[in-house]
Amino acid sequence: MPDEEPGTPVPPGGEDPGVVTLTIPCAPEYVGTARLTILGVASRMGFSYDQVEDIRLAVGEACTNAIDRVARGGNGSGPGSITIRSHVETGRLTIEVEDHTGNGAAADGDAQARPVEEIDPQELGALLMEILVDEVAVEPLPEGGTLVRLTKYTAEG
Amino acid sequence: METAMNLKVSPRAVDGTQVLDLEGEVDVYTAPLLRQAIVDLVEGGATHVLINLERVDYLDSTGLGILIGGVKRLKEQGGALRLVGPSARITRIFEITGLNKIFDVYATERDALAAGGR
Repeated sequence: MPDEEPGTPVPPGGEDPGVVTLTIPCAPEYVGTARLTILGVASRMGFSYDQVEDIRLAVGEACTNAIDRVARGGNGSGPGSITIRSHVETGRLTIEVEDHTGNGAAADGDAQARPVEEIDPQELGALLMEILVDEVAVEPLPEGGTLVRLTKYTAEG
Repeated sequence: METAMNLKVSPRAVDGTQVLDLEGEVDVYTAPLLRQAIVDLVEGGATHVLINLERVDYLDSTGLGILIGGVKRLKEQGGALRLVGPSARITRIFEITGLNKIFDVYATERDALAAGGR
């Protein structure tokens, strides 16, 4: 095991995953770019076609959620940005979608408890993320904005 | 920067039924085009609208929300919104969200037109 430089960040779990990072403006016209990037990452990892599409939609929803919060929150300091970090590991893809928008946490309410026609699109987005990937974690960031962590396991993983 | 819309919405009429042909991706960026097209039809007096999804390869929660809005609005007018030809992928999204229970979905435009109403 090689010696580690002092201060070298060690990812959780001790492995050193490949990380692909993309930062986009927090604006509707850039969500397609984020989806294309994630399509490229996920399609090289042994996911099925449907799984890749699930990941693409989940990431699109996470970005859309951030954009909707800015549209609703109107914090007046510009739209901010969204950073999408894809951690590629054996059998697992973890995508962190972090918005720097100064707005609070995502709606992750109890969308499933109500008739689907009464759900608003933002809640529908949260519901889709829950269904499409294996794990979803939503955390407000101390400096404002929200971190959404999506994890999907490959079948053999 | 102005980015090209990756969605085309083309209205046409078939035997008096208003049809919207969609092509491309319906997402947070392009969905306002679809919303406006539905609003225009309803304000023009349409009660039965058919949306052709055969050439839609991506549909997110924003698009779903607009379709739900269209279903409600046309139902209030005594009409109906019908969806035609969603891909297996989009059919799956309808199913996992439970929206297949409120959407009126047909495999072909002919089937949807045969369901009646103008």
